[in-house]
Formats: sequence, C-alpha cells, structure tokens
Amino acid sequence: MRQGDRMRVVREWLHRLAGTLLRRRCDTDLEAELQLHLEMATEDARSRGLEPADAVRAAQVKTGPASQAMDALRDQRGLPWLDDLARDVNHGLRTLRRTPVFTAVALLTLALGIGANTAIFSIVNGVLLRPLDYPKPAQLMFVTTEFPELGLTRNPLSVQEYLEFRQINQSFAAIGAYRTTGGAYATGEVNLTAGGRPLRVRSISVDAGLLSTLGVQPAQGRLFTAEETSRAGGLAPPLAIISYELWQSVFGGQPLVGQTVDVDGRRHEIVGIMPSGADVMDNHTAIWLPLGLPAAIRQNRGFHIMNVVGRLKDGVTPHAAQTELNALLENWDERTGSSSHVPTSRPAGAADHTLRIEPVQDAIVGDARRSIWIMQVAVGFFLLIACANLANLLMARAESRRREFAVRAALGASRSRLLRQTMTEGVMLCVAGGMLGLWLARVAVQALIRAYPTSVPRLSEINIDLFVLLFAFGVSLATGVLFGLAPAAQGRLRDLATALKVGGGRAADGGGRHHIRRALVVVEVALAVMLVIGAGLLIRTVYNLTSVDAGFDRSRLVTFSMTLAEPYDPDTRGPAYQRLVDKLRVAPGVLGAAVMSGLPPNRSPEAIPTRIENYTASDGSAVEIVDYYQFVMGDYFETMGVPIVAGRSFEPADAASPGRGVIVNETLANRVWKGRNPIGQRVRPNLSAAIGFGDDSWHTVIGVAKDVKQGGVEKKTGTELYVSLDQLAMAAPTMNVVLRTILPPAALSRTLERLVREVDPAVPIVRLRDMESVFAESIRRPRLLAQLLGAFAGLALLLAAVGTYGVLSYMATERRREIGIRIALGAGRSSVLALVVKQGLQLTIIGVVVGLAGALELNRLIASVLFGVQPTDPTTLAAVIMTITLVAAGACWLPAWRASRLDPNVVLKGD
Amino acid sequence: MSNRTTAKADVLQGTLDLMVLQTLNSLGPLHGYAIAARLEQVSSGALQLNMGTLYPALMRLEQRGLLRGNWGITETNRKARFYAPTSAGRRQLAREKDAWDRMAGIIHTLLHGEA
Repeated sequence: MRQGDRMRVVREWLHRLAGTLLRRRCDTDLEAELQLHLEMATEDARSRGLEPADAVRAAQVKTGPASQAMDALRDQRGLPWLDDLARDVNHGLRTLRRTPVFTAVALLTLALGIGANTAIFSIVNGVLLRPLDYPKPAQLMFVTTEFPELGLTRNPLSVQEYLEFRQINQSFAAIGAYRTTGGAYATGEVNLTAGGRPLRVRSISVDAGLLSTLGVQPAQGRLFTAEETSRAGGLAPPLAIISYELWQSVFGGQPLVGQTVDVDGRRHEIVGIMPSGADVMDNHTAIWLPLGLPAAIRQNRGFHIMNVVGRLKDGVTPHAAQTELNALLENWDERTGSSSHVPTSRPAGAADHTLRIEPVQDAIVGDARRSIWIMQVAVGFFLLIACANLANLLMARAESRRREFAVRAALGASRSRLLRQTMTEGVMLCVAGGMLGLWLARVAVQALIRAYPTSVPRLSEINIDLFVLLFAFGVSLATGVLFGLAPAAQGRLRDLATALKVGGGRAADGGGRHHIRRALVVVEVALAVMLVIGAGLLIRTVYNLTSVDAGFDRSRLVTFSMTLAEPYDPDTRGPAYQRLVDKLRVAPGVLGAAVMSGLPPNRSPEAIPTRIENYTASDGSAVEIVDYYQFVMGDYFETMGVPIVAGRSFEPADAASPGRGVIVNETLANRVWKGRNPIGQRVRPNLSAAIGFGDDSWHTVIGVAKDVKQGGVEKKTGTELYVSLDQLAMAAPTMNVVLRTILPPAALSRTLERLVREVDPAVPIVRLRDMESVFAESIRRPRLLAQLLGAFAGLALLLAAVGTYGVLSYMATERRREIGIRIALGAGRSSVLALVVKQGLQLTIIGVVVGLAGALELNRLIASVLFGVQPTDPTTLAAVIMTITLVAAGACWLPAWRASRLDPNVVLKGD
Repeated sequence: MSNRTTAKADVLQGTLDLMVLQTLNSLGPLHGYAIAARLEQVSSGALQLNMGTLYPALMRLEQRGLLRGNWGITETNRKARFYAPTSAGRRQLAREKDAWDRMAGIIHTLLHGEA
C-alpha cells in the first residue's frame, strides 16, 4: 500500500512536469470550470430568494476569490518553481540584452575570474592532488640524504648506503635505485641514433629493484632482470627499454623489441617498451638503461649517486618508516660494520649527512607546491574582487530598478520571488561566464605548458577533468549566488513601499544601503592591496635574482652541449674537443672559446671527498667535501670572464710541464686555508670519482678564482675546484662549450654545426642558447610567478579602481542636492572637489589598512619564495600604498570633478 | 497564492480526498459544484469548500490517477467537467475507509475510555 502511494505521488509529479512542459489543461479550461461553479452558486443563492446583486456577492463570499483559486490550480497543474525559473530566465535574458555594456563587462570579469581559478585549480588538481600513476602510489617513498652543513637536501645516497639500507630496514617491501648523473651515461641524456638521425634523449639507469618497486609492467617485451642490473664488472649489458612516447614518435610504432639501436655509439638491444606515461620522478625518461656500477663507484662511500625509491609494506605508515630509519641512524656503523662517512642521526660536520624519507609525490612536486598555492590564493582573491565589483554593479542597477520591483511587489509578487529573480540573473551571468572561463582556462593552461614546459612538475598530467569541471561549476554558482544576493542583502526589498512613494527612485533611506557598498569598496581595495604587495615582492625577488653577481660576465656568451660517446675513450676525446676549441677560437665573430664539464648556474652539487695536504676537516677527517669540480679546457677564465683574484690562470705551457696545477674558488680557499696563502698548497683531486678517469695525483694550487654561482643564483656559493683538461689531455663524454661572441646564437648555429661536423658528423649540438637565457631558465619559476601575480594584481587594481569610481559616482549623485545647495551658498569648486575626494580616500585608506593587515597574515605563505627581500619590506609596502592611493585618487577625482561642476540651478529645480 | 482552506469547518488534514472519493463513488459522476453542494448538505452547512480548495484537490486526484474528469452536459444543459473515480480510485477508497474506521475506533476508545 505504501509503495502504491509512492507510485501515485510519482504519477502526480510526472503529470505536473507534463503540465509545465506541455501546458496541459489550458487556463481557459480551468477558468470555465470555475466560472460554472460561481454561476451555479449564484443560482442557488437566487433560488433561496436573494436579489441578483446580493446573490452574486453571497456566491463570491462562499466560493472564495476566483483569482486565488486560479493561482492554486496553476501551481497544482505544473511545477511552480520550474515555471518561475523559465519566466525568470526569460526575463533575465531580456534584461541582460537591454544592458549590453553591463552584460559584457560582467561576463568578461567573470570569465577572467573563473577562468583563472579553473586554470590554476587544474594545476593544483593535476600536480598536487591527483595521485601518481603507479599501483598504490601512496606507498612509494623517496629516500634521500641531507647535508645540513652544506645546505644540501634531496641528495642521492652512496652505493654502499643504498645496499646497507636495503639490508637492514624492516619497513619497506621493495627498494630500488636509479641514477641520471655520473659515469658512462653522464648527464641523464644519451645520443640515440635512429635511422641515421642523431638524437639527444632523456635517459635513466635503473636497477631491477626500482622497476618492481614502482610496479610498472612493460607494454611489450620485458623489463631488466636483477642479474642484468648488477653485473660484477660494473659494465651494464647493452640493453634498453624505450618509452611508449619515443616508440611512437621516433620509431612510428613499428615492431621494435629484439632489434638494436645505437645508444652513445654502442649497439643496444631493445628488450621492452614501457606503457604510455611511465616515468620516474618526473625525469621525462625516453630510454631506460640497466644500471652498471664500476667497482670504484661501488666502493666509494663519498660518491653520492643513487636515487632511491622504496615501497612501504602494507600497513606501514611513512611516519613509522621514518621512526624506524631514525633508530637505524643512531648506530648505523655498528649495524653495518662500516665506519667512515656513514649517515647519522645528528649530522654536525660538513661531510655529515642524514637520511630522510618522503612520499614520492611530495618529492616530485617539491618547491613548486608553495608557488602553486600562492597562485591559487591570488586568483581566488581576484575572483572575490570581481564578485565585489559585480555586486556593486548589480546593486547600482537594482537601484535604478527599485520602481520596477516595487510595482511588482505591489502587484502581489512575493519577496522571495523577487529575490529568486535577481539570483537567477546572477547565476545566469555566472554560468555563461563560467563556460567562457572554462574555455579560457583550457587555452591558458595549454599556452602555459607550451611556453614553460619545465616550470611545473607533472605538467603533462594537467588537464580539465571532471573534478576540475565540477570545481569550475561550483565556483560559478557560488559566485552567482554571492553577488546575486548582494542587492537583496541591502534591505532593498524590505522597504518597497518607500520606493513607490518617493517616486523618482531616489531613496531617502540611503544611509544603511551605503554601508554595504562602502564595505565592498573596502574589501576590493584590501584584496587588491594584498595582491599588489605579493606581486611587488615577487618582482623585487626577480630583480634581486637577476642582479646577483654570478661571478662571471654573462653578456654576449653563447653555450651549447655535446657528447662524444663511444667509440671515443677519455684519451681520444681530449684531442677531439681540443680540435673543436681550436676551430671555434678562430671562427668569425668569436672572441674566445672554452669547454667545461658543468654549466652554471644549473649544476647540482657533486660533494666529492678530496684529500688536501696538511689539512684536517672540521669533522676530523683528512678529506674536504668539495661541492663542485669544474673540468675546463681552453681559455676558460678569460672566455667566461671569471676574474682570477690571486695567482694565475691555466696557461698553454702548463700542458707540457710535468707538475699539475689546480685553481680553487674563494670559498674553498677560505674554508681550507683560512686566510693563509693558498698558492703553492697541494690537493689531490678525486678524479676517478668526479669524472671516472685519470690518476689521483697531487696537484698544486696555482690560482684563486672569484666565486661563481654554480648551483643557482639564490643558493649559497659552494666550494669549487678547477681542473685543467689540457693538462690531463682527456675529456668527459658530455661537455659544455662556451663562446664569447659578438653574434647571437641563431647567427652562429650554422657555423657551429659545420665545425662540430668537421670533428664528428654523428654528434648533435644540444641546447644552443645564450647565457642570458640559461639564467632566465634558472629563475623561471619565480619569474613566472611574478609575471602571473603581476598580471592579476594589475587587473585587480583596475577592478578596484572601477569599483571605487562606481560607488563614489553613485554617492556623489545621491548628494547632488546637498552639493547644489553648498555651491548655491557659496562653496568653492575646490572645496566640493575635496569633499568628494575625501569621502573616497577614507574608504581607500580603510581598505589599505585592512589589506596591510591581511598581507602580514599571509607573510608565511610567500616568504619562502622570496629572495633578498623581506615580506615586510618597507620600500615595497610604501610603493604599493603610494600606487593604490594614486589609483584611488584618480578613481575619486572624476566623480568629484563632475560634482564640482554641478549647476545649482539645474540641480535644485530638478527635484 | 497558496491553496489554503477557508472552509467553515476545518477539513481534517487528508480527509478531503476521502470525502470527494466517497461522494463520487456513491453518487456517480458529478461536477465540482455538485460535490461541494453535497458535502455542504451532508455536513448541514458546516463544511463549505471554496474553489481554491476543491479544484486543486480534484486536479491532484486526477493527476494521481484516482479520478478521471471529462467534459459533459448538465441537466440544465451547460458544459461542465464531470469527475468519476477510476478503479484505482475505488480501491484506494476502500483502503482509506478501512484505515479511517480503525483510526476512528482507536481515537474513540482513547477519548471515551475502555467502554
């Protein structure tokens, strides 16, 4: 029976829906029925002996008003809210069409606001929220070393540490490692020859443990076996797995497993193809190679090259794993039987380090997280300003529609009906703006990915998915409700009667309403202040970063990278690079040429333990951990413009002399010799660890070079050792060529390609660009953040100015009479001007104060992305306050000027 | 705007459907005025339904498939809409009647003691 009832109700609603959509039982039909009822009642009354007029009245009393019955019937016939909605939408469309400028401005601001929010949220979603594309990704942990004294974080482990950790820990179900630097595949890139075309592709050397830890399965073929990635001799077998993307783009998806390709000049057999999107730590891996560890590297505890990824056992939390790790660190040496350079729980000396684990996703996102959230907050503010502005516009418009609403209320429209109507308009605007915004977001994100492919990690995973769509829809709707409510909130609908009475629509009860509009201006100004302060601080940061003295002259400097892979060996590479340098030096437009192993300012610290004569490091050991080794060839210091502050530079004669010289940087000289003269002191560069060849003989310090920012302009300068490859007559496979030239890279490229081809036709030139763009690239994230934040701050400022202008104009119009009287009584134009401007500036000042307070609150958010400037930097704050006040004064001036031009005759007669 | 009842005697919530169905079941197809007149007569004038109460109720019952309304001719030769219960309406009436009787019995016992 209950179910039957429910069915009946469903049936009723279906009928009502049909009643709305199909217009069943038209009004005349219903009216006829009621009419008949009334007539019959009248006849009955007459038959009881009443006069005709009385009979009609009696019948009417008895049956109740027909209009009410009709309303009730209409409500019952269809779905009233659906009917109303259709009517509101219709009405809204007409209203919006009648005011095209308002509609266009509203749509544009909304599209920008919602679009920006959606775009940034799609980044938040794709980069921060969406889990990695591995099975049970939350179990994956990145294990790294930290050298607090050297300021190094997320550093690799040594081979021994990795093997020991794998042995003694209980928390992980599987652990694997990879390397992208050092050794034969030196840079995480290899030369790949496919169909005669030399290509430079991203590579990674992995052990079998890593692949099973990640849980990747090949799309074709197989993965590496444990034996293949741990050959005793340390030479990896010539096998390769290629990425799905490389397979598709370069090999056209042809059958490939079992065939061979040239990787760094050596034939490699392709054993498998990875599934689409498979990668490690955002490395953009195109080719996977088996890990090979020569004994020298395997044994050397100072050589940190292993990037370690572990998978937690089921039920083990990251916290529990870190707790276990901390316990292991307490007595690592006792547990493993190794004593020198072991990780410790309390690192004190320069070489001391500790181990840390963090979720792989956090490690990938790294420092980008902060920037992304800053952007989300910024665009959120921007949307709020847009909302406040639209609320203002809508309120101003509602002002002019007071009479319309009053008339409709008098005709029986309920308050909630009118409220719903203004809301419908707001939501309609927002839905349209939201759709525009969604389109804008798509375009913007694609443009961002194209323009800054490496500015954000996991960029390829950013897209507009269902979650983002829901977000955009939710934001649009909330926005619409928010600013659609505003006109109602000011109590307009409460006093409809007054609107009719005062006639012209100029209300006498202005005070209360203005509070909301004033508050909106204050909010807009406050939010704009916060945005502009953020943008100002970031612009200062970028300025500071660009003006850091990197230690060399980067103007008119062009650089490129190249790799001389097999069949070259260290001994044949040296002369080959030497030939190239000789050719480059005399090329037209080239003033100087040199070759170096690491390209500043993008190097990662190498931390190579180095013996120094008569020296004991702070931790008591005889070695000093040197952050960077720079292997150079040719007129390195002259070409780069690195000043030699003491001693001399390398000279061609050095190559022939039996004694070997090195040059140290100021930081290393100060750390080791502490004010004593470093010239003539002896060090023993750890060549085998640093470059994989050469004997570790004693070298004499012949000069001290000015500090160069090797690891980034914002980083502390590390210690650095320069070794001359001219003396060694050898070279590493991959080197960076640098030219001092009067020509731009584009003009040089043909010459360079020809010269490199003369040395070896199979070698591609990689990343040919000027040093300025290398620097721009190294600060791309703060720069991008500054640009985006700057753009939004500018727009916010504009919106706030428009808002202030609008409200002030309105208030000035309201005060026309008063101002007219003042002028009539002899007030000067300038005093009227001051009167109105003062009113506006008061609001601005409150807004600035609130904004400053808010900005101080947000200090913590932005502090970590700043460089060389405090969040409370007085200069920036003063500049921002000045700017905002000037803009506000401008916005106030126009309405004030108009008010001061009022003709009292016209105004006072007008009312 | 809302269909509030202004009958002289308040129609007990939910009983209007029952009364309309019973009237039509016992007297055959009737138009709206005849239903109202019948209820007034039965209640000795205590129950006066205004149009705003009666017609929406008729429409609701029709939408639920308990009544069917058709245009016909009255004895005074006027076009009027005649309502008749459907078979579902008659079944519903029987059920509602039982439920009413039970409830009335319970209320009576409750109000006037065990007797």
